[in-house]
Amino acid sequence: MIRLSGIRKAYGKTVALDELELEVREGEFFCLLGPSGAGKTTTLKTVAGLEQPDSGTVVLDGEDMRGVEPYDRGVAMCFESYALYPHRSAYDNLASPLRSPRHRLPAAEARQRIGAIAELLGISGLLDRPVGQLSNGQRQRVALGRVLVRPARAFLLDEPLSHLDAKLRQQMRAELKAIGAVQHTTTLYVTHDSVEALALGDRIGVIRQGRIVQTGTREEIWYEPYDTEVARAFGRPRINLLPGVVTESGVRADGGVELPVRAQAAPGTEVLVGLRPRDIALHADEGHGLTGAVYVTEVLGRSVEVTVRLGTGEQRVSLVAPRADAARLRPDDPVRLVVRPENLLLFEADRPERPGRRIETQS
Amino acid sequence: MRKRLVGWLCDTALILYFVFALFPIAWMVILSLKPADQLFSTYFSFSPTLDGYRTVLGDSEGIPFVRFFVNSLVVSVGAVVLSLVVGLPAAYASAGWRFKGSENLMFTLLSFRFAPELTVIIPLFVLYQKLGLFDTYVGMVWVLQLVTLPLIVWIMRSYFADLTPELEQAALLDGYTRKQAFFKVALPLVKPGIAAVSLLAFIFAWNNFVFPLILTSNEAQTVTVGALSFLGGDRPKYNLTAAAALVSVVPPLLLALTIQRYLVRGLSFGAVKS
Amino acid sequence: MGWRLTLRPYLLIVPALLLTCGILYPFGLGLYYTLFDFSASKPQPDMVRFENYRAVFTQEAFWNSAWVTVLYAVGAALTETVLGVAVALLLHRSSLLGRVLEKILILPLMIAPVIAAIIWKLMLQPSVGVVNHLLRPFGLGGVQWTDTPTGALLSSIAVDVWVYTPFVAILALAGLRSLPTSPFEAAAVDGAGWWYTFRRLTLPMLWPYVLVAVIFRFMDSLKVFDIIYALTEGGPGDSTVVLQIRAYLEAIRFQRYSFGISYTIVLWAVVYLAAMVLVKHLGKIQRKAAEVTT
Repeated sequence: MIRLSGIRKAYGKTVALDELELEVREGEFFCLLGPSGAGKTTTLKTVAGLEQPDSGTVVLDGEDMRGVEPYDRGVAMCFESYALYPHRSAYDNLASPLRSPRHRLPAAEARQRIGAIAELLGISGLLDRPVGQLSNGQRQRVALGRVLVRPARAFLLDEPLSHLDAKLRQQMRAELKAIGAVQHTTTLYVTHDSVEALALGDRIGVIRQGRIVQTGTREEIWYEPYDTEVARAFGRPRINLLPGVVTESGVRADGGVELPVRAQAAPGTEVLVGLRPRDIALHADEGHGLTGAVYVTEVLGRSVEVTVRLGTGEQRVSLVAPRADAARLRPDDPVRLVVRPENLLLFEADRPERPGRRIETQS
Repeated sequence: MRKRLVGWLCDTALILYFVFALFPIAWMVILSLKPADQLFSTYFSFSPTLDGYRTVLGDSEGIPFVRFFVNSLVVSVGAVVLSLVVGLPAAYASAGWRFKGSENLMFTLLSFRFAPELTVIIPLFVLYQKLGLFDTYVGMVWVLQLVTLPLIVWIMRSYFADLTPELEQAALLDGYTRKQAFFKVALPLVKPGIAAVSLLAFIFAWNNFVFPLILTSNEAQTVTVGALSFLGGDRPKYNLTAAAALVSVVPPLLLALTIQRYLVRGLSFGAVKS
Repeated sequence: MGWRLTLRPYLLIVPALLLTCGILYPFGLGLYYTLFDFSASKPQPDMVRFENYRAVFTQEAFWNSAWVTVLYAVGAALTETVLGVAVALLLHRSSLLGRVLEKILILPLMIAPVIAAIIWKLMLQPSVGVVNHLLRPFGLGGVQWTDTPTGALLSSIAVDVWVYTPFVAILALAGLRSLPTSPFEAAAVDGAGWWYTFRRLTLPMLWPYVLVAVIFRFMDSLKVFDIIYALTEGGPGDSTVVLQIRAYLEAIRFQRYSFGISYTIVLWAVVYLAAMVLVKHLGKIQRKAAEVTT
C-alpha cells in the first residue's frame, strides 16, 4: 500500500533519510518508532509529498508518486504540532478539508459529517471555540478529527499523543484503535514511545539515523530484537545486559553464573546477555542462580522494581517482583535470583560504531 | 526612605526628558496659533487664532500647500502599494529559503536602506529629466521603493518565517493548492504584520525629504519640502511655518499611535521582536 | 512538475528583483558617471577615469566634511544610545508615570527629521527664539546657537538626538521586557546590589538590542542630510557641511554631477564597511549574551 524504497534525503550535510526501505500493508496500523532526529517526521512528509526525496521512490497503491502534489496524493496527516489554523474555530478547522476543491461536500452534508466526527471524538461542545482557547488534549482531538473527517487512502499520524499528559495519553491510546475509520484505513503512526508502539502497532518499524533497523510484529520485536539498542528501546524497566563470554557449554555471565544457552558463536566471544526484568525472579531455590545485594527498591503499584548489585562488582540488574515477595527487602539485603532461560537473549558486545547485534541461540 | 528618594529622582529625570521631547511640539502648537502681530512681542500669552492655518491651507502665500499634502498622500500610498504587491511574494518565498547565499541576497537588499540617498538620486536627477519622470508621481513612487521595499520585504519575511510551514502543509493535505494555502492560511495569519508594516512604510515615505527635494519642483512636491518653503522669503513667517509643520506631521503621528505594538519589529527591520 | 516545485520560490521574487534592478540601474549609472567629467556645463563628457576620486581625496573640503560627518555621527549615536538606554531603564521601572509616558515616547520619532529641524530652527533663533527666552533668567539669553561653528554642529546633533532617542529607547525597552527574570531573581536572592546587577546581568543581556539600535543610528547619521539642510544648510561657513550636503552642493547647486556622485560613492563605501564590521560584531555579542542568559 505504502512502499518507500531507497529514499535518501539530506538537508545540507545532515542526512535525514539514508536509503530508507519501508512497506506498509493495506489496512494495517504500522508504528514507526525511533528517537527524535531519527527521520520519522521526514518519512511521513515524504509519503505526503511535503518533502521531496533526493532519490528513491514513494509508491502509494501501486502508483509512483514522483511529481504528484500533496493535495493529489489522497493522504491525510496529523502533525505533531497539530498545525491547526489558529485564526479559525474548531469547526472551521474540521471543515477545512470538506471545503477544499478535492474533498468538497455540500454544506449540509459537511455539517453532518463534522457532527459525527466531533461526537466520536467527544468535542461536540467545543466546535464554536477558536483553536487558541482549546487545551492541548482538545487541540489534539481537533487535529485528529481533521484527518478523520474526509476519506483518505492512508492516515499519517505524527506523534499525535506526545503532548498529552500521561492519563489522557493512555485513554486516547485505547480510543484511537477503536475508531472505525482507523480500523480499516492504512495508518502510518510515528512515535518515540515504545509502549505506544507495542500497544497500537499491528507491525512496528524501528528507525534509527534515517534507516529502518527492524520491522516486525510486536512479538518479533520483543523476542528477537535486532540489536541491543532495539532491545533497550522496548520494555520498562529496561532489559538487563550483562557482559559475558561464550564457553564450550554455554555462556558465563559476569558474576560467575553459567547459563546453558547454545550460542552460534565461537567460544571466547565477548557477548551481552539480555535478561528482561520480568524474566528474573527472587528467592527461588532452583535454576541458575545469581547472588547479590539489594541496591534500591521502587514500588510500581502491585509490583516492585528491585535493583540488585551482583556479587561484589559494579554490575547491577533490575527485576520486577510481586509486591508480596519484595516488600521486606532493604538495601544491602543479600538476595538470590533465578533467571528463566527460555527468554534469554544474546548479543554481540556493543562496539563504539554500532550496537551489538543479536546472536541466534538454541536452548 | 532612601528608596523613595531614588524613585522620586527617577521620576524627575523621566519628566525632564519628556519635557525636552514634548516641549518643541507644544511650542509649535503655540506658534501656529499666534496672530502675526504677536509673533515676537510675547511668548506664552497671546490671543489664539486659526489664521495661520487658514493662510497655509488657503494657499494664500503662493505656496500650494494643500496640493503638496495631496501629493504626499498619493505618492506615499502609491509607493506602499507597489512595494506590497512586489514585496509580499518575495518576502514569502525568501522566508522559506535555505540555500547558501540567500542571507547575502537579503543583506544586499537591506544595504539599500543604508546607502546614501544621493548616490542614487543624482543619477536619477539626470535620468528623470531625460525620461520625463522629473516632478511626476511615477518618478516619486519609483524612487520611494528605496525606502519602502526593503522595509516591507524584510519585516514581512520575518513574519512569514515565524509561521510554521506545517500550517500550509496541512492545508495542502486538506486538498488546497499552494496558491490557496497562501491566501487562506499564510496571508490571514500575517495580516496584522502587513497592516503594521504598510503604515510604517507609509510614514517613512511621507517623512522623506531628500527625494522630493531633488526630484520634484512643483507638480509632485510633497509636504516636507513644502513646509520648508515657508521659512524662505524676506519676512520670517513663524506662525505659518509652525502651522505647516504641524499639518504635515499629523498623518504620521496618528498612524504611529495606532501601530505602536508593532513598531519595534518594524523600526529594527525585524531584528528585534517584541 | 518537478522543476516547477523547485523553481516556484524563485519565480515569486522576480518582480522584486526587477524593481531592485530599477533601483540598481541608477546606482550603476552613477558609478559609471564618476569616471567622466559630466556636468551641466559639459553634457558631452570625457572619460577621466579615476580623476574625480583623486580630486575628492585631495580636496581639503572633503577631509573637512569627513571629519564633520564623523563628529556628527559619533556624537549623535553616542548621545542617543546613552540617553535612550537611560530613558528605557527609567520607563521599565514601570511606575504609573512610566506607563503613561511610554505611550507618547515615539512622537518625535514619527516627525519627519526635516520638520523637526524646522521646529528647532524656530526655537533656536537667537533673538526671538523661545529657547533663549527661557534661558534669559539664567543669564544665558544671547547664545548664538546655529551661528557659530561649534554651536551649529552641537545644535544639529541636538535635533538628531531629539528625533532619534526614542528609537534607541523603544528597542532597549523591548529588550528589557524580553529579558528572562530568573537570573535577576537569583541575583536578588544572593543580595546583589543595583550596580552589580546592572553591570553583570542587565547590560550584557541588553547589549544585542542596544547594538542593533547603535548600528542603525550610527550608519544613519553618517549619511545625515535633512536635519542639516533645514537647520544650517552646512553653515556657518563650512562648519556643518557633512558629506551628503557636500555632495548635494557639488551635484545639484554647482551641477558638477560626476564629482558630486564620487562623494556619495566614497560615503557609501564607508557606510558599507562600517555596517559589515558592526554586523559581524553584533553576531559575536549576541552569542555572548546567549551565554549569559543560559
